[in-house]
Amino acid sequence: MSTNSEFDIVSSYRRILNEDPELTMPVAAIEALVEAIAQSSVSTVAETLDLLERHTAALKASIANPISLSAGTDLFQRYLITTLNRPASLNLGPDDDFRAIRNHLLSNGKLFVERAKQSREKIASFGKHFIRDGATVLTNGGSRVVGALLRRAAESSTIRFKVIYVVPSSRSSDANEGDQTVSDLRAHNVPVATISDSAVAYSLGKVDMVIVGAEGVVENGGIISRMGTYQMGLLAKSKGKPFYVVAESHKFVRLYPLSQFDLPIEQKVLDFKVTDDLKVSKTGDKESVDEGIADMTLKHTSTGLDSQDAVDFTPPDLISGIITESGVLTPSAVSEELIKIWF
Amino acid sequence: MSDQTAEPAPAAAATSSQPQVAPAASTNGDAKTTKPAEDAPKKLSPAELKKQKQAEKQARRAQQKGPGGPPKEQGTPKDAQKQSKEPKQGAKNEQARPMPLRRRPSQSNVPIQKEPEKKSKKESRQAGVGLFFGHLYSQPKQQSMNGAGKDVHPAVLSLGLQYSSYAICGSTARMVAMLLSFKAVIESYQTPPGTSLARHLTNHHLSPQIEYLRSCRPLSISMGNAIRWLKDVIIKIDPATPEAEAKRDLLEEIDIFIRERVTAADRLIRDLAATKIEPGDVVLTYASSSIVEQAILRAHEAGTPFSVIVVDSKPLFEGKQLARKLANAGVKVRYYLITGASHAIKDATKVFLGAHAMMSNGRLYSRVGTASVSMLASAQSLPVIVLCQSVKFTEKVALDSIVGNEVAPAEELLSEAERRDLLPLKSMLPSSRAASKNDDKAATAEEEKPDTSDVLKWIAESKNLHHLQVLYDVTPAKYIDMVITEYGGLPPSSVPVVHRLSTSI
Repeated sequence: MSTNSEFDIVSSYRRILNEDPELTMPVAAIEALVEAIAQSSVSTVAETLDLLERHTAALKASIANPISLSAGTDLFQRYLITTLNRPASLNLGPDDDFRAIRNHLLSNGKLFVERAKQSREKIASFGKHFIRDGATVLTNGGSRVVGALLRRAAESSTIRFKVIYVVPSSRSSDANEGDQTVSDLRAHNVPVATISDSAVAYSLGKVDMVIVGAEGVVENGGIISRMGTYQMGLLAKSKGKPFYVVAESHKFVRLYPLSQFDLPIEQKVLDFKVTDDLKVSKTGDKESVDEGIADMTLKHTSTGLDSQDAVDFTPPDLISGIITESGVLTPSAVSEELIKIWF
Repeated sequence: MSDQTAEPAPAAAATSSQPQVAPAASTNGDAKTTKPAEDAPKKLSPAELKKQKQAEKQARRAQQKGPGGPPKEQGTPKDAQKQSKEPKQGAKNEQARPMPLRRRPSQSNVPIQKEPEKKSKKESRQAGVGLFFGHLYSQPKQQSMNGAGKDVHPAVLSLGLQYSSYAICGSTARMVAMLLSFKAVIESYQTPPGTSLARHLTNHHLSPQIEYLRSCRPLSISMGNAIRWLKDVIIKIDPATPEAEAKRDLLEEIDIFIRERVTAADRLIRDLAATKIEPGDVVLTYASSSIVEQAILRAHEAGTPFSVIVVDSKPLFEGKQLARKLANAGVKVRYYLITGASHAIKDATKVFLGAHAMMSNGRLYSRVGTASVSMLASAQSLPVIVLCQSVKFTEKVALDSIVGNEVAPAEELLSEAERRDLLPLKSMLPSSRAASKNDDKAATAEEEKPDTSDVLKWIAESKNLHHLQVLYDVTPAKYIDMVITEYGGLPPSSVPVVHRLSTSI
């Protein structure tokens, strides 16, 4: 943006995200940053870090919910710092010039993106063992990695299971993804029931396990996920149903929310009023927004998240396990993983 | 407290245990001014010590079994607990008794070489303690510098007194003060001919200092960590290094340690914690912690509008200081005693706690009362945030507050004013009631010149009332939402990870 005239990080980030629908936000961010470094003419470590910082800030400012994105940018920054500070670890002598280091970085950055894409499949192969024959799975859609997991389970001939799918009550950005998963599962002969948010408690008696995706996994092992996940977690806990989270480990964020309102984003969910606004729905009045108006609210997303795209925080005590590509973690192991990355 | 159920029998046993005791009751009141033995404990070899103690113990046992001694059964739990504190002895009559292996390493081999008189006072107080905390009374608290070994450095001597009088209180402050005094010790140290600094300094010069400090007040976890670190640094000094250079390096290392583990850590913790204070918050804190104070002041300087509730307790009233400092800085402060904590918690939005130590099972070891405050907060689903430098992390685990704790002299429980208020109740005492029947005059004459230390005597004499002052308690990890260290915010379950990290560097 204004800080960097040479390279428009935001538009390249958007382009990358659009080109490959399989990509998650943190990975797209990393790819965009790699591209930025490739196109720049930086020649020192300090310059690189400075460039990175500017681009990251620009990127974060451009979207309403940078939590997931910041997981990627932080990870990349950390990786850069460690590799730049220790050129020896790259099998490069101290005499090698910075260009060599940079090339190494760029190729490794690409490698990272490749790995990140593969991780979803890896998670699916881990996670499908959690679905036992005859089980009924409750999930709340939108997450690609949950979709991949369920698809993988459906493809296996030994597991017969049913899915209760909580469909987004409004036109959220990932609604299509959910529809796609539902039709895919049905095509694989998996019975799918779609319910609304309000029917979760009602359906819970028939449910054996809950699987949800996450936008970010925070330091205490809790997750930040689409609005409604927290209440699913609370209900599942009260009924003693296991509650699993599926997330790639690049979604681990250095963030420690203490409550719902301790997130570093602004959400327009609670909107207290004393008068009946004539254009009630214009600001996105809770869930009951119809399609036409939802389109109009889109322009508000730059100042705060509307309720369709809002997220909530599910505390770690509600979570039974977090399925990542590096194994199944308990919530308390997340902070350990993060410490490993950061120190 | 639980000690009220204690049976009086061990009390009798212990008071009668020393052959040449002065009557315990008469000496108990002025326990603070006791003068310990001047024979430096260090002069005795461990073997000699052991022999001596064994002899003493046997004498005590004999006494106990003699006329007036309690039935063995009643004495057992008490003795067994005491046992755990002292080196195992070979006395035959002990083989029959259950001997718990549990032992606090920090106190297990403290040489106890006191004059009999002193011991008797100790015993009488110890006897007054119930079933559960008897094991914590291993040695009387040093309240003066008489009897300190001749090797103890003057800086350490004065520091010890500051410890025992709580002039220096709080585990970080104690650790820093200790390291600073060790700097003085090292500065004036001269390696004796024929030894090397790396070999001699730790064992022969630093150990007496540490022993003395320990006799003034049990070492805090952070002090233990710092001592371990210092010994490690000293032992790694190349014996070939010239003494002056080695000493200079050591002093420098200590400075770096303080700067890195305390000063810089404090700054990081303070800054992070201050961001957790949001406009409109009501921050509740218990007792006094320097790092909590810094965090609050930091947030206040940043212009965040918030208020603070300080919950405090007897008898140290550390929170008063904190409340005063915060109020002087312009923070809105409310002050409650812990008796009103359940009311205070209703207005609070966040709880900030300081720590004495973080255990490896994620539990918080802190000023007694902290556990109840965090449980109250947790019941109100308020976030409980612990601010703690990683130097206070320990690999030990604590399951309860009984096994490891520190007991302060129970006399501190009753303030001078409270003792005075109790004086008019003298006539209610069973002993004086009996006396007043016979001799009214004498009783009133005694009341004419009331002495507040009398109250303590009554308590010491009474069979069914025991005073107990423990200093710490343990808060289970599930009541803690976040631990802020210089490594950032962590869940309590990550304490061992960070501890490993911070000690391996």
